[in-house]
Amino acid sequence: MSKYYQGIDIGSSYTKLTVIDETNRICYQDIVKTMNRDKQELANILTKIKSDYNIVSICATGYGREHFKDAHINKTEIYCASVGVSTLFPEAKSIIDIGGEDIKVIKTGGDGKVDDFYMNTKCAAGTGTFLIEIAERAELPLARLSELASKSNFDKELNSFCTVFAKTEIMKWIFDEVPEQDLARGIYISIVNRIAKIRMDKTLPIFLIGGVIQYHPFLKTIVEEKFQQRVVVPENPQMINSFGAAILAKKHAESEIKIASKY
Amino acid sequence: MSQETIKQPYKIKSAKLMKELMGNYFLGMKDKTKKIAWCTSVGPAELLRSFGFEVHFPENHGALLGATRTATDLIPEATKLGYSSEICSYLTADVGSYLKKETPLTEHYGLEGPPKPDLIVYNTNQCREVQDWFEYFAKEKNCPIFGIEPPRYVDEVSNEAIENVAAQFKSLIPLCEQASGQKFDIDKFRETLRLSKEATDLWKKVLWTARVSPSPISFFDATIHMGPIVVLRGTQMAKDYYITLLKELEDNVTKGIGFLEAEKCRIYWDGMPIWGKLRPMSELFAANNAAVVASTYCNSWVFDAFDEKNPFESSALAYTEIFINRSEHAKEKILKKLIQDFRIGGMIFHEAKTCFSNSNSRFGMPLRLKNETGIETLVIEGDLCDLRFYSEGQTTTKIETFIEQLS
Ligand code: SF4
Repeated sequence: MSKYYQGIDIGSSYTKLTVIDETNRICYQDIVKTMNRDKQELANILTKIKSDYNIVSICATGYGREHFKDAHINKTEIYCASVGVSTLFPEAKSIIDIGGEDIKVIKTGGDGKVDDFYMNTKCAAGTGTFLIEIAERAELPLARLSELASKSNFDKELNSFCTVFAKTEIMKWIFDEVPEQDLARGIYISIVNRIAKIRMDKTLPIFLIGGVIQYHPFLKTIVEEKFQQRVVVPENPQMINSFGAAILAKKHAESEIKIASKY
Repeated sequence: MSQETIKQPYKIKSAKLMKELMGNYFLGMKDKTKKIAWCTSVGPAELLRSFGFEVHFPENHGALLGATRTATDLIPEATKLGYSSEICSYLTADVGSYLKKETPLTEHYGLEGPPKPDLIVYNTNQCREVQDWFEYFAKEKNCPIFGIEPPRYVDEVSNEAIENVAAQFKSLIPLCEQASGQKFDIDKFRETLRLSKEATDLWKKVLWTARVSPSPISFFDATIHMGPIVVLRGTQMAKDYYITLLKELEDNVTKGIGFLEAEKCRIYWDGMPIWGKLRPMSELFAANNAAVVASTYCNSWVFDAFDEKNPFESSALAYTEIFINRSEHAKEKILKKLIQDFRIGGMIFHEAKTCFSNSNSRFGMPLRLKNETGIETLVIEGDLCDLRFYSEGQTTTKIETFIEQLS
């Protein structure tokens, strides 16, 4: 019977699931809201995975990793990101994971080991939450933000570190009748400039992952402009940590077999 | 995780004795016949004890408010009085506790609150906050106050600095005599200092047992077992306690018993403990087989310089050369030596939001140490008492990734 491995990334906004086979091929992926009061949706997905695949090992990651009782191991999302991206792109790189509540910058070699990492923790500036709050204040539809920004050459940013202050700053832009495509681009520039304040090896290519880049693809252009580096967005950037978790679930299962065969 | 069983770290047996000792210390404060002095944690406790004062340490009360997680509710009381919530949360928690008339001392020891002071003494060798804090209470309690103000952030302690501080110690004597009703007795001072020196030497030996692997004591254990060296130094009881503790730890070293069975990596903790999260923190590291074996904080009560033959000068030196009062350069030299001695692979800097003086990550030190020694460094944000500045989820992710990185 073929063996399958499951990664589950329980983030603050969404729970992502990936199932891989023994060749690391992705066989199944899904995504549900983490805070969905109705836990049935996730339960249904998990039941379906169980019945369709012979899952031998599960790795949980993300902020909710400790709470997923069926996991054999749990690993941080930073490690999973590093393993996930490095499995697809085995080269030295910086990974920027822009999530709902934080930004993570990870330096990693081709082997997936984390060489260095940084997390902005204290405030929402530069994160998905920042984006949502500011866009809402500017009355810009989130789904069209990327498209709007692509039409602009605006080069200003919101200076404030604080989301609340940034909201008042964008009010000033609105009073100044800054057109909406410029507002959109200005918001993206603010996010990228926030990332640029984090220590990063300038010689390495950049891989953008996480939910924000999935829904705001124009950010890639701004990152390229700002960092003057090769910027890669892997396919399904929001799912990559769950993919990394699935890879680690597989490694775990393999090491267990090795231990067992010793005795 | 369902299939990985987490082993509980070794529990130090002497802890029972220490609890008794600390209990008696607090109960001793009920004795109305005793004169009480308040003192900063690295203030001139020996001189005060030589006058027969029972010594209360407001920082110890602050740590208790932090450890019992009552601080976060008390701090806003001080904030209403105009104290920023970003200054020392020992201060704001202690003032808040006083204003709200709430303290864990009541539940644990039947005390209404910290004992009423007959004299208040501080030393700004650690920070300026203690000055404001103690002055607030001096006014509230209508109590005489004395401050020792040594040169700050010294590279090495000069002879002039020693003379200066020794003179300040001496000028405290008349106030002590007045408040205690006892004449200064140099022999008593020498005797107290001798006891303090013996206890601090033992404490150092206790901490230094962690140089072996597996280490018999963790940083988290040490934050508990440091109680007597902070509040009872200069007494026979403190000395006796550390003889017992050291024996247990040395026996464990001989038997190869560590607080963890196997150490995946060895970590140094810089900065204050996060008092309200000691247990989950300790469990987090233990679950990942990461041994936190040394710290700036617990080393703060190692006073090599005490010498009964020169009680004033040696106290002046000991209390001025403490880590927190040193230049960046001197601090780095000390840390590099500890990294070597304790065979440290990674260093965690706790950047406490409300304690500038005990947060050593703010002037680029983690990166400098990483570049110069090759160890990995991590900065985590939190606070000693105010848990509003701490994110458990984010910190756990950082720490677990860091351990992964070190392994
Ligand atoms: S050193 Fe820090 S924690 Fe201690 S009293 Fe000063 S400000 Fe407060």
